[in-house]
Amino acid sequence: MDAIGRAFRALFPPLLLFAAVVAVWHIEVQRRGIGAFLVPGPLLVAETLWEKREALLKATALTGAAALAGFAASLVTGVLVALLFSQSRAVRRAGYPYAIFLQTVPIVAVAPLIVLWFGAEFQSVVIISFIISLFPIVTNATEGLMNVDESLVELFELHSATRAQVLLRLRLPHAVPDIVTGARVSSGLSVIGAIVGEFSAGYGNQNFGLGYLIVQTSGLLQTPYLFAAVFMSTLLGLTIFGIVGSAGDWSTRRWRGTR
Amino acid sequence: MRRIVATLLLALLPLLAAAQEGAAKDRVSIVLNWFPEAEHGGYYAALVHGYYAEAGLDVEILPGGVDVPVLPMVATGRVQFGVDNADQLLLARTQQAPVVAVMAPMQVSPRCILVHESSGIQSFEQLENMTLGMSAKAAFSEWLLKRYPLAKVKIVPYPGNVSQFLVDKNYGCQGYNISEPIVARRQGATPRVLMVSDTGYNPYTSLLITSEKLAAEKPDVVRRMTEASIKGWRKYIEDPARTNAFINKLNPQMEMYILDEGAKLLVDMVLDEAAKRDGLGSMTAERWSTLVSQLEEIGLLKPGSVPAESAYTTEFLPAAK
Repeated sequence: MDAIGRAFRALFPPLLLFAAVVAVWHIEVQRRGIGAFLVPGPLLVAETLWEKREALLKATALTGAAALAGFAASLVTGVLVALLFSQSRAVRRAGYPYAIFLQTVPIVAVAPLIVLWFGAEFQSVVIISFIISLFPIVTNATEGLMNVDESLVELFELHSATRAQVLLRLRLPHAVPDIVTGARVSSGLSVIGAIVGEFSAGYGNQNFGLGYLIVQTSGLLQTPYLFAAVFMSTLLGLTIFGIVGSAGDWSTRRWRGTR
Repeated sequence: MRRIVATLLLALLPLLAAAQEGAAKDRVSIVLNWFPEAEHGGYYAALVHGYYAEAGLDVEILPGGVDVPVLPMVATGRVQFGVDNADQLLLARTQQAPVVAVMAPMQVSPRCILVHESSGIQSFEQLENMTLGMSAKAAFSEWLLKRYPLAKVKIVPYPGNVSQFLVDKNYGCQGYNISEPIVARRQGATPRVLMVSDTGYNPYTSLLITSEKLAAEKPDVVRRMTEASIKGWRKYIEDPARTNAFINKLNPQMEMYILDEGAKLLVDMVLDEAAKRDGLGSMTAERWSTLVSQLEEIGLLKPGSVPAESAYTTEFLPAAK
């Protein structure tokens, strides 16, 4: 009962805001007689969501798979790179500018090239999602691995701990909350990366993701359908963010006791 | 002294008149659906050869590009005129955009699919086992997907140029017959051009479009705009040299050889049998309703949602000879 009450208290404010926004949206579209090509009303969007549910769900599943794959790859690679960075100042100095470089790459411009190099397939979308998600994990994880209390490091050394022990028993557990922070940021980016990837990749005849749907519906002026596809994209982003968040909380508790 | 003042005033008179004439000109803008190319030639010709000015119009042509929302811009009155294709116009109308076509310069759609001659493919039925670069955001793609088996054809987004076509013998892509095949040939490829219009899907192209509001409130402006544009199109298919040089300056990627060859191909596409009979720029009820039923057939229009006769008007066209 208490849990239900808590859930209610947590969900009530955002839901109330959502209802208010939808109500204003509906009333204004009606009152001003705005055409659907400009702003479709919420009822029309809901209707389209239902009417196109099959295509939308299929597209969301495909984009979600690409985003999760890109995110997982960036998590693993990002932590490995950070471990490497934490071990040598020289490596860090040499590599860090390139990590920043990765963040400033205009992904929209590079996406068509990646598609040209790796084919208009699922893997290209994953690679684009990976590139855009990598940076926050590298920086946050490096930050966490480096910012360890010096006295703790001295304590480890006092007990003649090896370098590997310091890394795995002290630095890594210490960095978990930072890695989780990086992962949260990346989870949202991975969806954006997958959608941008699909703009250029497509996937072929009958299989298409949300990015493809967004391009298609905007080109064909199907604004209600476009709104529905964007809605599914945000829902997907929220879902992945939620999963990563819960997994993050769980691992923080596990690695560091409480937080 | 008085004489000097009088002379000065006299000298100024034509200037005054000119200023007044300038002020009396109606300023309108027209937004294109793509970067300036041969398919917009007639509109540029009307500008370059001064036909708009003669009609008392001060016209600014706004080049389009990727994702420029031509019809929403016209529907909201942000620009007075737009250039787009008939299928797009019907799709906009089904989303309650109050836009109408007033003139159809290109009777034959330039839309085509390029394949390598070496592929042996000679018709749409034979498109199979290949990669096809084709935009998802165009109604003709849906038409081809629904109409033809396209067995083992992998559809990928069209990258906007023929670079992939040039390197991959197993690749075909969309294009306008007045542009992409010409470029591909110049680059040493031997493309075969499959015209989408041959499949029966032939939307009027580069339509002059305005809003219902402007057509009702300023019919005189719309009429002068339509007539001057028709004059421009006639000039363009007869003598495109100056206009092409102008387009080339605006869009240097459109090299002169593409524009020159394109303009030659345009002659028969602008002046087909119907246009010879009814006049350049004319439109028929039959063509419009055919397109409506085709879009209904492939599911892009809900049946009955857009009456064909609501999409266009011939009232601004000069009476047929």
